[in-house]
Amino acid sequence: MRFRVLAQRWRRAGQLAVWAAVCAAALHRGIPPLHGAPAPAPSIVLRDPDGHLVDPFLAAEGRAAVAFLFASVDCPVSNRYAPVVQRLHGTYAAKDVAFWLVYPNPGDTPQAVKEHLKAYGYPVHALLDPRHDLVKLTGVTVTPEAAVFDRARALAYRGRIDNRYVSLGVERPAATEHTLADVLDAVLARRTVPQRPAPAVGCFIVDFVQ
Amino acid sequence: MTRILPRTLAVLVALLAPVGGAVAADTPVTFSKDVAPIVYAKCGTCHRPGGAAPFSLLTYPLARAHATQIVTVTGSGYMPPWQADADYGGEFLDQPRLTAADLDVLRRWVAAGAPEGDTKDLPPMPSWTDGWQLGTPDLVVTTPAYTLPPEGTDVFRIFVVRIPVDRARFVRGLEFRPGNPRVVHHANIRVDRSGASRRFDEDEEGPGYSGLVANSAVYPDGHFLGWTPGQVPPLLPKGLAWTLEPGTDLVVELHMQPSGKPEPVETAIGFYFGNDPPERTPAMLRLGRQSIDIPPGEKQYTITDAFELPVDVEVQAVQPHAHFRAKEITGFATLPDGTQRPLIHIRNWDFRWQHVYRYVQPFTLPRGTRLQMRYTYDNSAENPRNPNNPPRRVYWGQRSSDEMGDLWVQVLTKTRADLDVLNGQFVTKVMAEDVIGYERWLESEPDSAPLHNSVAQLYLDLKRPQDAVRHFRAALALSPSVPAAHFNLGTALTLAGEFDAAIAQFEQALALRPDYAQAHNNLGSVLLQRGQLDRAVPHLEAAVTADPLNPQAHYNAATAALRLGRTAEAVGHLRRTVELSPDSPVPLIELSWLLAASPDTTVRDAALAVRLAARAAALTARRDAGALDALAAAQASAGDFTRAVQTADAALALKPANAAEIAARRSLYQQQRPFTLAR
Repeated sequence: MRFRVLAQRWRRAGQLAVWAAVCAAALHRGIPPLHGAPAPAPSIVLRDPDGHLVDPFLAAEGRAAVAFLFASVDCPVSNRYAPVVQRLHGTYAAKDVAFWLVYPNPGDTPQAVKEHLKAYGYPVHALLDPRHDLVKLTGVTVTPEAAVFDRARALAYRGRIDNRYVSLGVERPAATEHTLADVLDAVLARRTVPQRPAPAVGCFIVDFVQ
Repeated sequence: MTRILPRTLAVLVALLAPVGGAVAADTPVTFSKDVAPIVYAKCGTCHRPGGAAPFSLLTYPLARAHATQIVTVTGSGYMPPWQADADYGGEFLDQPRLTAADLDVLRRWVAAGAPEGDTKDLPPMPSWTDGWQLGTPDLVVTTPAYTLPPEGTDVFRIFVVRIPVDRARFVRGLEFRPGNPRVVHHANIRVDRSGASRRFDEDEEGPGYSGLVANSAVYPDGHFLGWTPGQVPPLLPKGLAWTLEPGTDLVVELHMQPSGKPEPVETAIGFYFGNDPPERTPAMLRLGRQSIDIPPGEKQYTITDAFELPVDVEVQAVQPHAHFRAKEITGFATLPDGTQRPLIHIRNWDFRWQHVYRYVQPFTLPRGTRLQMRYTYDNSAENPRNPNNPPRRVYWGQRSSDEMGDLWVQVLTKTRADLDVLNGQFVTKVMAEDVIGYERWLESEPDSAPLHNSVAQLYLDLKRPQDAVRHFRAALALSPSVPAAHFNLGTALTLAGEFDAAIAQFEQALALRPDYAQAHNNLGSVLLQRGQLDRAVPHLEAAVTADPLNPQAHYNAATAALRLGRTAEAVGHLRRTVELSPDSPVPLIELSWLLAASPDTTVRDAALAVRLAARAAALTARRDAGALDALAAAQASAGDFTRAVQTADAALALKPANAAEIAARRSLYQQQRPFTLAR
């Protein structure tokens, strides 16, 4: 595993300069860039609600993609996506995608997260990210928001799950673009991931004072 | 009894002394000193523990955690949830308005890293009332337990609950508690005295129904009911209560938003009663178009409507109503001298905030003022709220996938006579609009039984029973085994004068449901009118037994008892009728005649007769000769012949058809002799 990562790093080193220029604005805001990023899977260790330490990349070794869904206990938009997330999990876990539900708000305690998982019937593995290690790695800003790492464990996508919400208070009766599903299909088919500059709509992750 | 709500008080204080003020640009902004006063006054009603909002913002750690969110949603105008343009129409009650200075404080606080500051600067935390905001209700009804599915589009469901009162009550207020504020977004509340909503509910399995709000489900006596988060209408002042009669159903349409998991929903409605009968009744005017027909792709479809006021009015409140394609909503008044008085403006209409906008300062509009509205709609794919993708042609209709455009305007007139003039002109206008809307709607849904029922009900109100019969027949053909369908047709046939056909329909309804109280009542009533006393009596008795709170059943039973010469029994039923329906002049008049002038002297009660007849005369503004005739007889029975003669003169001045009879009675009174009814 480590050898492969190092090899990828080395191969991609040449692209670094171009990437850095393109994504200067993103870097400036402290948000990691998308695409072209070499960013091999770093080793990140978080706790699950039972207090066990988990490296979500290591645990997903060999899987075709790793998807993180950022959620929070008290955000109504995030909660309303629970059935959608469960369906996506049902479809794509079977297609070799590792799914993680991530709670980034420090107020969402392990106990609160356990109760939340039970109340909403999430079958997805959950992680707590109160120090925002994964938040910083992926650049997400709100819940619900998704981040997808491809086979090479480069960040392939960050953003909304679908286009149901246009902004807070403006929503479609049903989504007409299933952005995350499209991204996962592309990653699985080794196609270029479609990039749609559509920010996720939801509740800002706490402490996101800029 | 008058209570000032802490919340209303908070708003008043906010109006008097805008919180936050203007903080000098170079002063550091802190939570304790600058932000907390804003949050307490403008957000705390909902964003407190146990409030309607999903999270509290009352402490520094909570506000700090949501700091970016606060600036984003207040900056975009999403919060506080208030749709109306602040500079148009005037100040409204419960308006949680953030000033430009407030917004600036919030922005600068977050820009500075959302510091806490010195906790000694914190203002005292306001206290909010948990539970009922208006105090302990006199009566609480709950909607039947319902489980909202975890996902999908918003759910609209209508619950019908019998209001358990055994005599007429005067309602000063109504408080709605959502029970589960996470999913209950707003409630549209009406009352139905006809039973039609109940029949709609019975036709559908499970708690509540998902069809149409019946035409007979109305705002009671010109009073808005309903709830949006953060809104508790204050108790009505003395003399403005509305009368709740036994047998009335509460019709609660809930707008619910799925939360991501199955949610139990059980709402509670508290009633607050007063002792004083209404002295004034508001009028509920409605502007709007039901000829709405928007082509797909149309981005700027406009409807306008106007109504010229025939009398002076005082405007109390407005409520705009439209669905998902409505974009901009404007209501205004053009005074006789040409000046415009703004009523309300909503630039970005959001269907999900169905607010009643009550003016802090009601204002007068003179006779000849034109109330006007202009609504625009976007039926293109660029309107994300469009329920149809791709867009389709859309007509007027009650379902949220159809479109509507109404502006309700609540006004008070100076006198009862003015109210009658206003209602007379307004009802004609509105019903003509209703017929256009429903008939058009039926063209696209000819097989909808509820729709046929609604149109038929409308024709009954318009006194066009033949048209009602046509539509009830269509509804019956669509659902032949529904007892209510036979009942409805029977009722319309009765009003159309087709008694034999009506009797057959009532009998079929009873064959399907033997304990159908209203069918017993109406069948008994028709048989009574046909002179078939023997057949009528068992049905009338069954009607009273099955529904002892139905004033009509008691009234019919009284009529039958009188025909059978059972005066005491008739008096008993009429007394019950008057208790159950104290504002209906006819039973008041009939009972007072018996109490004043019955040949059976054991039932007489002259003093009560005077009181009841005086109430009937007041209810008819002393312009009904029958009420005055009864009052004169009662006064004579009580020995007050001078008054009796005066009252008889007042009756005769109205030039009634039975003037000769009244004149004959008047000469009796002049001779100091009371009048006695013939046996």
